[in-house]
Amino acid sequence: MSHKAIPLPERKRLREKKIKKHALANILTHWFNVGMWLLLLPTGIAIISSPRLNLSPQLVQDFFRNLFGGPANLIKFHSTVGLIWAFVLTFNVLLGFRRYFVPFAASRLLLDRDDVEWLKLKPLQMLGFMKDKELPPQDAYNAGQKLYMYVVILGTVGILLSGVVMTFHTLFPPVLKQWAQPVHWVSVFSIVAGLIIHVYMGAVFPEEKEAFFSMFTGEVSAWYARAHHEKWYWNKVREELEWEDRVEAELGEIARHQQPSGDRPETGQVTS
Amino acid sequence: MAQKKRSGFVIDVSRCIDCRACLVACSAENNVGMKYTRIWVRDLGVKGEYPNLQRTFVPYNCMHCDNPPCTEVCVSGATYKDQDTGLVLVDQEACIGCGYCVDACPYNARYLDHERGVVDKCSGCIQRLQIGQQPACVTTCVGKARLFGDLNDPNSEASIALKNARTVQRLDYEKDGVHTGPNIYFINGEVLEDASVLPRDPRYPAAEATWKEILVPAVLAGIGLSFVGQATFFTKQLLEGEKE
Amino acid sequence: MSQARVSRRNFLKLSSAAVGAFALGQALPAPVARAARQAGLIDADGDGYLPTMCEMCVWRCGVRAKVVKGRVVKLEGNPEHPHSLGRLCARGQSGLMNTYDPDRVLFPLVRVGKRGEGRFRQATWDEALDIVAQKMLEIKEKYGPEAMIFSSTHNLSQVQFENLLNGYGSPNYGTQRSLCFNAMVTAFLLTYGVEEPARNYDDVKFILLVGRNLAEAISTSETSALVDALSRGAKLVVLDPRFTKTAALADEWLPIRPGADAAFLLAMINVIVTEELADCEFVKKYVVGCDELPQAMQDYTPEWAESKTGVPAGTIRRMAHEYAAAGHNAMAHPGWRTSNFINSFQTERAIATLNALSGNVLKPGGCLIAASPEASGVPLGKPPQPPYPRISALRLDGVPWKYPLVPLKLGVFQEMRDAILSGQPYQARGWFIARQNPVLSLPDRNRTLEALGKLDFIVAVDVILNDTAWFSDVVLPEASYLERYDPLNVVGGKIFIRQPVIEPQGEARSALWIYKQLGERLGLGNYFQYADEEDYLRQQLAPLGLSLEELKVKGYLDPEIERKNNGEIVFNTPSGKIEVYSETLAKAGFSPWPAWEEPPVPPAGQFYLLTGKVAQHTQFATQNNQYLHKYQDEPRLWMNTGAANSLGLKDGDLVEVTSAVGSARIPLLATQAIRPDCVYLTPGFGHLSKGLRTAYGVGASDSTLHVTYTDPVSGGQALSQTFVRVRKV
Repeated sequence: MSHKAIPLPERKRLREKKIKKHALANILTHWFNVGMWLLLLPTGIAIISSPRLNLSPQLVQDFFRNLFGGPANLIKFHSTVGLIWAFVLTFNVLLGFRRYFVPFAASRLLLDRDDVEWLKLKPLQMLGFMKDKELPPQDAYNAGQKLYMYVVILGTVGILLSGVVMTFHTLFPPVLKQWAQPVHWVSVFSIVAGLIIHVYMGAVFPEEKEAFFSMFTGEVSAWYARAHHEKWYWNKVREELEWEDRVEAELGEIARHQQPSGDRPETGQVTS
Repeated sequence: MAQKKRSGFVIDVSRCIDCRACLVACSAENNVGMKYTRIWVRDLGVKGEYPNLQRTFVPYNCMHCDNPPCTEVCVSGATYKDQDTGLVLVDQEACIGCGYCVDACPYNARYLDHERGVVDKCSGCIQRLQIGQQPACVTTCVGKARLFGDLNDPNSEASIALKNARTVQRLDYEKDGVHTGPNIYFINGEVLEDASVLPRDPRYPAAEATWKEILVPAVLAGIGLSFVGQATFFTKQLLEGEKE
Repeated sequence: MSQARVSRRNFLKLSSAAVGAFALGQALPAPVARAARQAGLIDADGDGYLPTMCEMCVWRCGVRAKVVKGRVVKLEGNPEHPHSLGRLCARGQSGLMNTYDPDRVLFPLVRVGKRGEGRFRQATWDEALDIVAQKMLEIKEKYGPEAMIFSSTHNLSQVQFENLLNGYGSPNYGTQRSLCFNAMVTAFLLTYGVEEPARNYDDVKFILLVGRNLAEAISTSETSALVDALSRGAKLVVLDPRFTKTAALADEWLPIRPGADAAFLLAMINVIVTEELADCEFVKKYVVGCDELPQAMQDYTPEWAESKTGVPAGTIRRMAHEYAAAGHNAMAHPGWRTSNFINSFQTERAIATLNALSGNVLKPGGCLIAASPEASGVPLGKPPQPPYPRISALRLDGVPWKYPLVPLKLGVFQEMRDAILSGQPYQARGWFIARQNPVLSLPDRNRTLEALGKLDFIVAVDVILNDTAWFSDVVLPEASYLERYDPLNVVGGKIFIRQPVIEPQGEARSALWIYKQLGERLGLGNYFQYADEEDYLRQQLAPLGLSLEELKVKGYLDPEIERKNNGEIVFNTPSGKIEVYSETLAKAGFSPWPAWEEPPVPPAGQFYLLTGKVAQHTQFATQNNQYLHKYQDEPRLWMNTGAANSLGLKDGDLVEVTSAVGSARIPLLATQAIRPDCVYLTPGFGHLSKGLRTAYGVGASDSTLHVTYTDPVSGGQALSQTFVRVRKV
């Protein structure tokens, strides 16, 4: 990787410099999801009692039913928490839709050619092949993360819509309820499939430790950014440099204005 | 050792006159929606050539099977076999009214109450059993054709009638070695061969069949792959030691 | 309520709202509640079981009504009541939907549109009762009390209804009896001295049912007893042109030609007496005419009967043998609705004779008991009253001046209707109808409607806006049977109470109250010397020293009247014996023996029009009940499949049935279950009242088709003598 060529003192400086990666809204939403899922996933698994489908261990079913006093109460709990989750999420997304969500999606969620290359190469490299080939640079979220976001967004929509149908079942015809159940389950477990990787990558894999902490602080080190999200890093650098150039140009302008008249700008004051 | 209760009906087909008192009693007792019925009297029709005619009426409802196909498919756990009585019941607070169980029942004994958005069926009038009464249909039957009781208790009225019956028929349904084990015994009647009373194959709606045959394998495969992929990587990681 | 017109829609909306408003949270009437709570029948919340009596048909099973939060939620049969024994039929079970029918009339109604438009306005009781009294007094003043006719289908308040009309001074009293069982009652009165012998199925071995569709014309305990007897191995033979559900239970169904029942029975008698199969020494002692009977029956051979009935002679002979072989455990059922042919009276006489020959009436505990089930020997009290005014006017129904042998109590209802039209011997001006639907029950509906047009004033007492109420000028809402007291009823020697298990909805009141209120306004207050319903019941119990409170709690009381039985068997006839030969009939110019009278047969291309009963309804009264509507069969015209084919008709075709007096349209049911020369129209439907939102527009009424024929002996109507043509529409 290119960063191996960086001398040590530079590395140290990069490691200490922090760049903001996650907005507060992002962080709160993430952990809100985690909390809700911790309640919803086990209770949801405990609800599915079809012996023919055999999707849930009897012990789990019995435990939760005993805990809540029967399937009806368990379902009421699950659907109440589900509704809260749905409401908060929907509210957030709608509230910040144009100002936050659209730019977020546009800047971080779209796949480009580098992503496609990365997607072809990375799995092979993980298995130990083609280790010498260089991975294309990745943006704020790498291609894998982007794909996971798709699964999460689509899955969440699936969960919410099917969940609403099942919770307000008196309002919907049977055929919708018949499909709501598998849709709900597929949505959940598609996300779970991705979760296995997501949690591993985020919390277990040592290279990504910074990523884990960034979901609390909102920041990553420049070193990490340069290593894993190069495109984003250099974009940030360019932004910084552009900003510095702009500042310099303005200072120059002010200085030129001040020369003949003797007007001195007040110390430290930079107008721009 | 106290034996488990096997609640069931014994229907003396020679006594039913199709007066339908049982149907009205059930509707009133269980507040059944006006458009629906939990129980039936199946009319096997006028058989024979004039003037040598026969006509048989068959009181009919949920069989409270030993191995109910309906509890097999219920996703929310709303329908279940009650431990104390052996009755197959529906907890309508847990039911979302998807109707998998309606299709699965070989006896067409269940129905969707569209006004209430849930499934309904004969409950053996468990609320009456709890206060020492018989099911409403049994209590009122003018012909005394309907009997109900613990079929595992040889001294129950139903068991005794069964023992003394001239003919007995049980409409068992078997698939892949599994018998439904219905707990309605039809006695003293002509052999019931009419399609309206014979069990049919359980049906699985498209959503349920798709779920079982396609979606579960697909998603499990996906999870499996994900897990395997992760495990591999994790193992590699352990073997190669920590990296920068 | 203002004078503004209440349109039908508004009226119906008002009814529903009223029902809704009042149905919830109705408390139990205080006195009932107190007693029941003390006895532990209901708990502190007022929930529990209260005993009363059903009124969904005349069998009047004892009922235990389950009341929860002031609402009747379930009806159970009372195990202590001999007519129920713990069971209720479909109609009994549906009774709570009769009380909670959204089409209930809950307020007095006064007509504002034309008769038959169904436009009424609500009135207060005072206003409505004043109108009725005023009109009745007007009629009495101008035309005499006989110009006001009264009719009611027999019910527990009948005694006060009769009190009203007797006090008023009218001789014109119609009941449903001549449309139902005049033939049976007259025949058995003349033969045995009882209106109707009781049936005991405990030891019966051979049962002959002539019609009497017990599986569909359900009398709860009797239907149960019949099924029990069959289960024990008794043999059932059914004579019926239609394969009814009773025929389906039978060992043998004989599809006899309509009107020929008497031929079959007379031939059976012929065989029994000719072959000396009866225990003649024993029988002779109690039967008048036993010696001459063989000669009187000599022409009625099985071969002769075969030509009349269509049943093979060999079968008839065998039936006689089997019947006789069962001895006193054979029963020829007296029947109930026997208004089929003019010769139905003779059919009943033949049945009475058959039973006499078997000796079943003569054995204690035998299967026929020649004591009327309604007579009990329990001396109930009644309020004091002055004697009735003398009545000099003739009865419009021709009793006894046209029908000398018809008991006054039975009357000839259809004759009364015809007299309105003819104006002979005088013109009727007003009609008071209580708990009855003559527009649908009388034969020839067009004539009935025409007769209504001739009257100045019509008042109806009813629970819903049934067809006759629909055509009335004033409708007085009676409380449903679950909401009222009625006079006590004695069954099997026990006294049973009907009491309100919930407060009446709206302004509905009991008949006891209505008749008293009306009586007072008519100046007849002295005939109604009771303060309220409870006072009336107390006066009934007074001679027996029994407590009303105890009766309310238990639902019944056993006065334990000692029944004197010195072992002698005496019949309430002039001779004290069974009068197979009846001097009374001879004197009146009729055949003293059971005799054959040739019935009419349909001309080529026409069918006998049969009527009957369905287990899910009671005549013309219950079609609006939503529970019964839910479980009824679609009304159809039954026709034999072969006969249908030859007319080019198939199952489900819409057909038009036409008789001499009217026509109806109905889908066809092609079936094997009926003689090829007969058709059968599902009875009870074809309601005209749009106030019956569930029943209106369903099926067709046979009253539009029935021609009026009256038996001169019993006054009974001959409902199956109407012949019809059927064609595809």
